[in-house]
Amino acid sequence: MLRIEFQIRPAGISSKLFDLEEQIRSIEVDNALPATGERIFLFLTVQFDDDISEDVIAGQLPNTKVVDTTKAEVNQHTYYLSVVADISEVSVLALLTKNEAIPHRIVSQNAHLNVVATVRDWTHLKEVAGTIESEHGSLELVGTTQTETIGFPLGGNKIKRNMSGKLSDKQLEVLETAYQMGYFRVPQEVTAEEIANESDISRSTLSERLRRVEHNFCELLFGPQR
Amino acid sequence: MTMILVVKSVDQHPSIREALGSVVTPGETVYFLRLPTVRCLGPLIQEISPMVEYDVEYTIDCLPEGYEVSDVVDFAVEVGADRICIGIFERTLTGKARIDDLTQSIVLHDHVSGDLVVGEDTIILENLSYEGEE
Repeated sequence: MLRIEFQIRPAGISSKLFDLEEQIRSIEVDNALPATGERIFLFLTVQFDDDISEDVIAGQLPNTKVVDTTKAEVNQHTYYLSVVADISEVSVLALLTKNEAIPHRIVSQNAHLNVVATVRDWTHLKEVAGTIESEHGSLELVGTTQTETIGFPLGGNKIKRNMSGKLSDKQLEVLETAYQMGYFRVPQEVTAEEIANESDISRSTLSERLRRVEHNFCELLFGPQR
Repeated sequence: MTMILVVKSVDQHPSIREALGSVVTPGETVYFLRLPTVRCLGPLIQEISPMVEYDVEYTIDCLPEGYEVSDVVDFAVEVGADRICIGIFERTLTGKARIDDLTQSIVLHDHVSGDLVVGEDTIILENLSYEGEE
C-alpha cells in the first residue's frame, strides 16, 4: 500500500469558513459519520486568530446545521465544531471513500487543502488522483511512502482531546511555545535558552517541564511505568 | 531487463546505488537519463562504477531543454524500459518521499502503469507497461 499526501484548493465548508472576516489558521476534519441521505455529521477542529461566536460560524454556513461548538481547553482560539452538512461540503472525503481510499488527515491551511490518505497501489493512486483532480481542478502530489498497514482513519481529534487532559496548563504552555518556536524541528530552530526566556522561566524549569510532558505522553502510550 | 535512472543531480549517489544494488540483475541495460540542468556525469559514474560493481551495461542520454514528461515516456517506450528509478531528495515532516513536478507527471501519466515502490533514496516504477503508446 501507499500512503500519499497531496494538496488541492480548499472547497466546500473549508472555503466558506476561510471567507469569514475572522482569520482562520487551520481547519481539520477530525471525523465524519453518516446521518441521513447525503447528510453527514462532521467533526472539525478550527483554529481562529481570535475568539468567535457560534452565531458567526452558523451565519457563514447556510445549509449546515451547527450542532455544537466547544472551545478547546488548550490552544487559544481553537474550537471543536460538530455540524450536520451535505457530504458535498467535504467532497474530497466523499471522493476518497467512494474510491476506497482511506483518509487520514484533511487539513486546510495557507490556502491549501492538505490530504493524507492510503491507497492500494500505483493504479489505485492514479484512479483516486484522477477523480479528485477532475472534480477540484488541480492536484499536487506532495509525498508518498510505502506502508504495510492501513493505519488509523481520521480521528486526530481523539488524540488531541486525550492528550489535553493529561498535561497541566503550564506543561501545555511550555510545550506549545517550544513547538511553535521550532524546538522539535531538525535541525532545531531555537535553543532551550531562548524558549526559557520567552516563557520567563529558568533553563532547569523548562527542562523539567518538558521531561514531565514526555513522561506523561509515554504513560499514555505504554501505560504506567513498571 | 532495461532500466532508466532519471538523474536530477550529480550528487545522486545514494539513489543510484540503491537502484543499481537492489533491483538490477547482471547484464541489465541501464540508461542514465539526465536532466538538461545536470552537466557532466563523468565523476558520478566513475565513482559508482556500474560495469565493475554492478555488472551492467550503461549509456548516458539527456533530456532536451524545455523537456516535458512525454519526452521521458517516449524515451522509456523507445528503449522498452521495465523500470524507471527517480531519486528521492527530500522527505516531508512525516517522512514521506517528497514528489516534485516531474515525478508527479510520470506517476500520474495516463499511459504508464505498473508497480510503485518507495525505497530509502529512490522511487522505483517497475513491471512497466505502456498503454496507448506505439
